[in-house]
Amino acid sequence: MHYPWWYVPFVTSPMLIAAVATIHIFVAMYAVGGGMFLAVETQFAHRTQNRPYLGYLRDHTWFFILLTVVFGAITGVGIWWTIGLASPLATEALIHIFVFGWAMEYVFFVIEIASAFLFFYFWDRLPPKTHTTFGYIYAVSAWISLVLITSITAFMLNPGNWVQTPSFWVAFFNPEFIPQTIARTGGALLLASLYVYLHAALRREQDPELRALIARRSTRPGLLGAVLVTIGGGWWLLALPESARAALAAASALNILMLLIFTVTLVVFAMLYLGPYRNPGWITPGFAILLFAFGLAAIGTGEFLREAVRKPYIIYGVVLSNQIYPEEIPGLRQTGYLEGGTWTRRYVAEHFPQAVDAQGEIDEGALLALAPDERIEVGELLFLYHCNDCHSVEGYAAVSESMRGWTPEMILALVKEPHRARFFMPPFAGTAEEALLLTDYLVTVARPFPAGLVNGSSN
Amino acid sequence: MLPPFLGPLNPLGYPAPYWFILFFKVFGFTLHITLMNLWFAGLITMLLLRWRGGPHAQRLSDRVINAMPFVIAYGINLGIVPLLFTQVAYYQVFYPATILAAWPWFAVVPLLMVAYYGIYLYVIGLRKGTMNTQKRAAGWVSAAIFMLLGLVFSNSFSLMTNVAGWGPLWNATSQTGAPYGIGLNLGDPTLAPRLLMMFGLALTTTAAYVVVDTAFFAGGESAEYKRWATRCALMVSTLGNAWVAVMGSWYFFAALPAEIRAAQLQVPMLVLTLLTAAGTGLPWLLMLLAQRGITRRLGLLTGLAQLGALGLHAISRQTVQNLELARYLPIGAEPVNIQWSPLVLFLVLFVGGIGLLVWMVVQVVKAVRHPVTP
Repeated sequence: MHYPWWYVPFVTSPMLIAAVATIHIFVAMYAVGGGMFLAVETQFAHRTQNRPYLGYLRDHTWFFILLTVVFGAITGVGIWWTIGLASPLATEALIHIFVFGWAMEYVFFVIEIASAFLFFYFWDRLPPKTHTTFGYIYAVSAWISLVLITSITAFMLNPGNWVQTPSFWVAFFNPEFIPQTIARTGGALLLASLYVYLHAALRREQDPELRALIARRSTRPGLLGAVLVTIGGGWWLLALPESARAALAAASALNILMLLIFTVTLVVFAMLYLGPYRNPGWITPGFAILLFAFGLAAIGTGEFLREAVRKPYIIYGVVLSNQIYPEEIPGLRQTGYLEGGTWTRRYVAEHFPQAVDAQGEIDEGALLALAPDERIEVGELLFLYHCNDCHSVEGYAAVSESMRGWTPEMILALVKEPHRARFFMPPFAGTAEEALLLTDYLVTVARPFPAGLVNGSSN
Repeated sequence: MLPPFLGPLNPLGYPAPYWFILFFKVFGFTLHITLMNLWFAGLITMLLLRWRGGPHAQRLSDRVINAMPFVIAYGINLGIVPLLFTQVAYYQVFYPATILAAWPWFAVVPLLMVAYYGIYLYVIGLRKGTMNTQKRAAGWVSAAIFMLLGLVFSNSFSLMTNVAGWGPLWNATSQTGAPYGIGLNLGDPTLAPRLLMMFGLALTTTAAYVVVDTAFFAGGESAEYKRWATRCALMVSTLGNAWVAVMGSWYFFAALPAEIRAAQLQVPMLVLTLLTAAGTGLPWLLMLLAQRGITRRLGLLTGLAQLGALGLHAISRQTVQNLELARYLPIGAEPVNIQWSPLVLFLVLFVGGIGLLVWMVVQVVKAVRHPVTP
């Protein structure tokens, strides 16, 4: 509303955030957990003077750098890129609240990159103690990055008292901060194990002693990680705002995902324990790929759930999913959504000057007097700016399908009070006239009632 | 009269004084372009030297490209700060401009990834002696992508200050008022000269980098190589300076709006304008001096002088940006609500982080000078 709305047909632009974030998280968590693993294991290998294991760890560090410093770093920037495009008001708010959190994270990024490169490129040239210290510098910096970014994502789900006391630290130490930090630390450790295990399996190490050592040692962080994911996940659930818990309970898809995440985490735990930990000889590419896929499923599901339960907000209680501040709604219902929006107001003024009064304000009554096709055009404008954040016309969460067979009266009733029908939808932030215009448009896109249904009804 | 495109001010206010935001934006941008220049113009220059040059040219090319993974990692990272503070200070124009050009802007992410991995492929070929046609091609593709990315950035940032150009672009590339995100700011007369001027500036940075590399890190190379590299640096710098002069004149005298040009020519801004124009002259003079024999002191001075020249460009760019935006926005007028403790903590971490980096480098230097025996 305050910003132009980026129209991406079929998938909606916010789904691009989900796509980038999902692929990023798979590598970003490894960047943290893998760093911890490498620091601890390099120390162990130096202490035991295990040259073959050091050789393996060096190989793994190269793989780690190629994946995390390039793919992880760029997709991380990519999330930031995408949220600014698809969710500009929320990004604006987050940057105003957390600018120094991000700036601090940047400092740790710089340290991460330097320590990772020096750790790898001077592998054999640094004294063992210094080499190990570099590994720990990386691990600690990476974990602090995780903590800093987690405070922001946790804030988005439950800002706690920030609305009453808008200070950085109240935002930072929000109710979801500790549980999400525990869960994500666990996820990072879990993924580290799976990446190491996968890498080792695909490398087809011939030395059986080394294979057994890698298998055994690589499972330890994963076992701890699975426990932390379970503790953090449970706590996360308890710290959810009431509506988020209600959303979890109400949406059957989320019920299934919730069950899935805990089940898959348990399966991964069992596979790690019974597989590489107790039976290191099982280190085969097939088993490793299966384990890795389960791990990604657990992490990906967790991240999806975290995003899904926030509805109807982008930042809980602060910015609604359709880029409006909740406190703006009463005013918009009086003056009109089109009038209140920078770009919608401009659009109407440019395309329908007859609906703008002498003071330059949109005359809602005049909008209703437009020709039918023009009313539909204004309705489409309302749809794109008010609804397209979550609904496409054809494609993801398509209104054409969800309103299949609806009568204009049914559509109007929903448009006027969407939050009554589905509590995780934001309220309609427009006037009664705008509700009619939006209905005009939706009627044109809603598909007809499916033919062939025998339900005892006459139509 | 049509309503303006700019949304309301953020109710939270600036989290730091405006000057602080601006300082870190300019400081961060200076550091970012120092490294960005090396992949923007340096990479293609080095590939050309490898392709067409003799043994010394090829050696120089290998040395510079070998450092690219590190340069790119840091260059991207150092770009975070200016972008972060741009979003704090100019969110009202930054978001609409990038949304109007959303797909090119979004494409930065996959393109950068391809270019970065392409460089790794090339470097692996160099380091392992396994260079082949595919790896060589990867290097060229990466260089092309990096130049394309320069265009994307120039497009978005010139669009950010060209608010008057938004209307036609929006109408031409939107679905009932919602942009498709394919807007290109090609109608802006400043787009081409500012991009090309940056290319020339990047050539001068590449030359300065070659001098610093030769002075500090080419201990194992022959005296003849060092002489050749220093001479090559001077040639590249001369070309870069000439290029900047031509493109800078185009930008300043023919593309920049008259009122902004007039403001830049008034004292005290005139001093900054002249210093910026002459900025890359000092490193060029130092390179000329280095033709008599490269020393570490000359290398250091050349590097610092180039950094200073880039800093001047960043400051000038900021003043022009503010003048351009002042036509639409009350620059710096947002209420300030300083987040003192996180601000101080950030500064402490920033200084501490630099200290830690220095400590790590010292450890590496010590280890290289006194190798451990396994």
